[in-house]
Amino acid sequence: MPTAILGPYTRSILTVTVIAATLMFSFTYARINVYTEIMPFFEWMETTWFGYIGKTWGGAFATIQAGHLIGLGVLGGCVLVSDGRLLGLILTDVPHRTVVERADKVFYWALLTLLATGIFMACGVAMKIYYLPVYWYKMLALVAGMLFHYCVRRPLVAHDLESINPIILKMTAVASILVWFLVAATGRWIGFSG
Amino acid sequence: MDELIYNIAIWFDDTRWSTMLHESYYMYNWVESTHVLTLMLSLGMLFLIDLRMLGYAFPDVPASKFANRLNFPMLIGFTVMFITGILLFYAVPVRTSQSVWFRIKMVLLVACAINAYLFHKRMSESVSSWDNDARAPKRIRTGALLSLGFWSIIVMCGRFIAYDWFDCQYEQSAFIEFVAGCVDGQTRY
Repeated sequence: MPTAILGPYTRSILTVTVIAATLMFSFTYARINVYTEIMPFFEWMETTWFGYIGKTWGGAFATIQAGHLIGLGVLGGCVLVSDGRLLGLILTDVPHRTVVERADKVFYWALLTLLATGIFMACGVAMKIYYLPVYWYKMLALVAGMLFHYCVRRPLVAHDLESINPIILKMTAVASILVWFLVAATGRWIGFSG
Repeated sequence: MDELIYNIAIWFDDTRWSTMLHESYYMYNWVESTHVLTLMLSLGMLFLIDLRMLGYAFPDVPASKFANRLNFPMLIGFTVMFITGILLFYAVPVRTSQSVWFRIKMVLLVACAINAYLFHKRMSESVSSWDNDARAPKRIRTGALLSLGFWSIIVMCGRFIAYDWFDCQYEQSAFIEFVAGCVDGQTRY
């Protein structure tokens, strides 16, 4: 059993391995075959209703973009409040657990909003983003962010926080802020490309 | 009034720094990115406070404590957004000052400021009686809902500024020309 071999850090080690393997795959020639094979999927995305609406009505596309930005704002707020608490910077007079758990509920809805609006936007400009390297960087950052959040950070903070080494907690909080900032920054970068 | 705004915008546009900022690909994008990414600090905190009042977030954290602790980072965020917003306006003053969306955004920002003042006034007057309740009283909830609505439209207007649907350089209806403040015979856009 992996748990027995890797001890209490099984999930973290597996997550880091998956992220590392994905990154290695993405930055080597191994990706080219997959990249070519998924092109029809992107062509199909543009033919869906979402793709049609996104391409035809600029106003609808911009409105959904605004929804995406609001989702990003709320998600960022949750990350900053929750990780800020772990870093001892904000809401220090409220128990860790309360802040982390309550922020996580809002985070979930913000992430869903981001994913839903993101899929709509991707359909509208599917072939454009297919050829944009920065779009793939954003997807990598997003997958890394979600894996980190749900497979590393959440299981970690589910433990009694007093029993966790404070340095580990602070490093987790900093990593969480950085990974979500990277998601937002690469998303912004898409706007400047192509 | 429209002519005065246009002349001031032209004056900004003629300054060296405005041209430098507008023409600098990296600097303009840095300023714009900072403006957008600071949403996570400003709007993120604000929406969490509003959701707390509505009972959808952090219901077991005292409302006054939650709002007070999040106020400071939120104000830092809004300060950064304000500074970068002024720089973005300064970089493209003529087109921005005649943007319908920019004008709506400015009106809503004033509405938000008034709403925030009333919200805090009402909250400080009555918070001791409902501080630990999951949902704030109706008056406070209305303020929170207005804040969520106004800011969502502000984000939308900010996004729409990038689109040229109602720009003065194109033929527009009399209503749009009035709202955008297009000036007869203007030569710069």
